[in-house]
Amino acid sequence: MAAPSMNAMADKYANQDVGSIFLYTHEAHPGENYPHHTSMEQKLRQAQALQTELSVTRTIVADSLDGACHRRFGTMPNMTWIVNKAGTPLYKSDWTDSESVENALVYFLNVQERRRGKHRLAPFRVERLDYRTQDRDGFNEGLMRSGPKALREFNEAFE
Amino acid sequence: MSDPNLIQKYNYDEFTPAKVFHWLNFENSPKLGEKLPSFPLWHLDGSETSLEEIWQAHSLTIIEFGSFT
Repeated sequence: MAAPSMNAMADKYANQDVGSIFLYTHEAHPGENYPHHTSMEQKLRQAQALQTELSVTRTIVADSLDGACHRRFGTMPNMTWIVNKAGTPLYKSDWTDSESVENALVYFLNVQERRRGKHRLAPFRVERLDYRTQDRDGFNEGLMRSGPKALREFNEAFE
Repeated sequence: MSDPNLIQKYNYDEFTPAKVFHWLNFENSPKLGEKLPSFPLWHLDGSETSLEEIWQAHSLTIIEFGSFT
């Protein structure tokens, strides 16, 4: 996870008062190289390794060892949320796709601009199905980064 | 009462349907438009912050959840 395209987007919009973080959860596919967490110290070490190995340029923060935040937000392995300064979520996706996130972000930046222009705006709810490219080779490569065990277990789970 | 084995179950040691799929619960995640609860979070140097502190720092904040895989 932690796609380079998400780092690029963070840089692109940083000067428009858009923050971007990577929230490290549990290892979705524990393997020989990056096993399941048994202590907070180990979790922070693996988050540091992720930062280096995946070249994550965004701020990384770690959830508690019991995943309190991750679990409250639905425990999906790679979801993305956009939240405003008041702590109100404006966008949530059960999978991360930078094009989907950027599409929503541009819309919300435009909403801010319209509000500055004294437009009276009222929120309403939208449901939409977005589409992402399926990169099975890249995904398998990520599993192998964790270790052969991770790849084997994933294949067995979906046999 | 909280599960005494919560940490062990959340940090499952192998990816199997029985250990993993019951955690996936996006349908019951916080609703759009309703203020989020805050949670303590940790910087990589071990210092503590919070989700609220993070979202208050910018007009909009993108939060990607994830791990190595």
